[in-house]
Amino acid sequence: MVASVLKIKGISKSFGVHKVLHDIDLEIAKGEVHALIGENGAGKSTLMKIIGGIHRPDTGSIEVDGESVAFSNPQAAMAKGISLVHQELSLVPNLSIAQNVFSQREPTNWLGFVKWDELHKRTRELMERLGVDIDPATMVAELSVGIRQLVEIAKALSMDAKILVLDEPTSALSEKEVETLYRIVDDLKAAGVSIIFISHKLPEVFRISDRISVLRDGRMIGTVKAEDTDTDEIIHMMVGRSIEEMYPPRASSVGETVLSVEGLSRGDELSDLSFELKKGEILGFAGLVGSGRTETARAIFGADPVDAGTITLHGRTVKFKSALDAINHGVCYLTEDRKDLGLFLTKNVRTNIVSSSLKKFASQLGLLQHSGIEDTAKYYVQHVKLRPADDKPLVMNLSGGNQQKALLAKWLCADPQVLIVDEPTRGVDVGAKTEIHSHLRQLANSGVGVIVISSELPEILGLCDRVAVFNEGRITAVLDGEGTTQEDVMKYATM
Amino acid sequence: MRSLGTVLKKLTKKGNIGLIASVALLTVVMSLAYPNFLTLFNIEITAMGFIQEALMALGMTLVIISGGIDLSVAAVLPFTAIIVGLLLKTSLGVWPSIAIALGVAVLIGFINALMINKLRVFPFIATLATATMLRGVALVITEGATISGFPTAFYEIGHGRVYGIPVPVIIFLVLAVLFALLLKNHSYFQQVYFVGGNAKAAQLSGIKVNRLRYVIYGISAFMAGLAGIITASQYVSASTGFGLNSDMRVITSVIIGGASLSGGKGSIGGTIWGVIFLAIISNAFVQSGAPTYWQDVVYGGMLLAAVFLEEYLRARGRKAKMKSWREFLTSG
Repeated sequence: MVASVLKIKGISKSFGVHKVLHDIDLEIAKGEVHALIGENGAGKSTLMKIIGGIHRPDTGSIEVDGESVAFSNPQAAMAKGISLVHQELSLVPNLSIAQNVFSQREPTNWLGFVKWDELHKRTRELMERLGVDIDPATMVAELSVGIRQLVEIAKALSMDAKILVLDEPTSALSEKEVETLYRIVDDLKAAGVSIIFISHKLPEVFRISDRISVLRDGRMIGTVKAEDTDTDEIIHMMVGRSIEEMYPPRASSVGETVLSVEGLSRGDELSDLSFELKKGEILGFAGLVGSGRTETARAIFGADPVDAGTITLHGRTVKFKSALDAINHGVCYLTEDRKDLGLFLTKNVRTNIVSSSLKKFASQLGLLQHSGIEDTAKYYVQHVKLRPADDKPLVMNLSGGNQQKALLAKWLCADPQVLIVDEPTRGVDVGAKTEIHSHLRQLANSGVGVIVISSELPEILGLCDRVAVFNEGRITAVLDGEGTTQEDVMKYATM
Repeated sequence: MRSLGTVLKKLTKKGNIGLIASVALLTVVMSLAYPNFLTLFNIEITAMGFIQEALMALGMTLVIISGGIDLSVAAVLPFTAIIVGLLLKTSLGVWPSIAIALGVAVLIGFINALMINKLRVFPFIATLATATMLRGVALVITEGATISGFPTAFYEIGHGRVYGIPVPVIIFLVLAVLFALLLKNHSYFQQVYFVGGNAKAAQLSGIKVNRLRYVIYGISAFMAGLAGIITASQYVSASTGFGLNSDMRVITSVIIGGASLSGGKGSIGGTIWGVIFLAIISNAFVQSGAPTYWQDVVYGGMLLAAVFLEEYLRARGRKAKMKSWREFLTSG
């Protein structure tokens, strides 16, 4: 066995009365890729923040290279070679790549003035090591999310990181960029850097990691070698039960057409789109990012204008002037961007749930009736199994999965006839995912037409009755959910 | 060999090209319409009329880049003028009086930073409160009267010349060069951009954000104090009426100069062009004899136009990025 670079023993941590980590042990070997997985709220981020010196543990010890350490701030952790690449990137957009990489450690002369030539030269070397040939003076604002991530990694390398923590590094990357990242991880590993890799995506965990550690409810469930295990075992470790029925049964029968769209067009984004949605069915929108799925949903919802096309709802032609207009007609859209566009993060769960249906609770004078609001909010909290089962916490304090449930509850409360959900389970853990799927199916069974937009093909194929495949603003095929393979969909999505 | 296109592209990226072009255009139009516009005499009058705003704008640039705002400058100016005026009446001497008055100004800046750091008050509110209180205190001290009768040595600050150039202008030029150099090239002052661009990340990467805030608001108040002393010397008196509405003109010129109120963006060069722009417009009113009441209407309009332009450019930039992103994906 190779020597451990990092040894964690008996780490516990509480925030107030809430204990988030219980007696955690973890060892990271030199030059290994170690995946850390667990449901949302399992304690992964807290553990990493302790390792990175952002939080201090209540009990327990941390050893780096056999030497006992106690970090009082992130700089102390960096000095020992531990670097965190945050999920929310920490770059400053209006400064250059070089300024960001060497932030606070710029080469300077004795007066503290920056030596630009040397700064740029060293940045260029680092970026080349990552396989990117780019001018170090380029502003970060001009870079894609993928390149920004590489800048973060370059920053860590510039500090001679021995242990690199990557927190969900691929969640915002394109396929091609993900491949680049994998290659970089392999290179770093070969150079003796240890990598702690936090992810929700099991296929990628198996693709790149040597060992996998699973956290559940703040406890370390176990560490296994990636080659000795499989997806089922890992899921079992994560949720404490095996998920046999991953997806609810499909619709037994569908009713008349609820929504039909014909000839929807706008510029070069949407060209001549037509499809029908039947009562009680779940229709999937599959396709690559930018293929027109979200644009179509927004066009139907009245959020963006269209050049041409008719939308028919229950046999009547409609044209929504605004989101409010669409909601009043029973058409709801659950956004993919829950934090910016879907939820009021600084408000409590109750306010969020009723925020799109305030009219229902108004008296004739327009005054809100709070008792009704409270009862309704409590009902939906129970209904979507929000945890904690309370309508009073602020939404910003909920985990990702629970935020998504709150968002779902908000739209359920608005009594939709057509519900369009965009990436309903992105960044959501396995358990919450299954629950969201079964809610969508229940909703369909109750006669609502549901459209699911998702980039996860297994989800589209497992959940939907029919799948419309988008490709460069067109629908290239409508397939049956049952019996269709991922390869079939990809063929139409990329042809 | 660089093509004209790439040179132009680089220039527009610098962001101030529209502003500089506007200044150039205004200059041409003004000098054609009013032959005495480009005379040394007129330039000097205009510069001296805007020297207070110019000095304060240097400090305000730091504040705004750091994501804050300092509404107290317009009150620090008369307050410092009054302090120095009172001290000059004593036997303290000119230079100690000035030093103490500037020290008081810096202290006010520290109080601003303290409120923002410890009480977690938004900069807007903290500095607004400071401004309101200072104006009140100034009235209490002076009972509304003007202080006058200063020694000759003090008179020289506002009226003296070195090689024919007015002393206030020299003070401004020296400080402008110093500020520009520090902000652009000094590792300590680079931190201002980090704090404004992403305060949380700045904290995590080891920037002592709170300490930096003392420096920034201290500098801003120092510049306002300096403006106050120069004003007192120019008018050979000190009055609570000094600097009225100068805060808005200062912020306007910083924003027109390309800084963003959300922080992380801006430059000394841009700010100076912004001040020049406002100064020319002010001179246009003087030259044309148009009622100066309209001046603030035009300033407000310019501020709106600048913010609108920035928003427009940003939206266009985002669209271009989306497009290249899509091309990147489909080329895969």
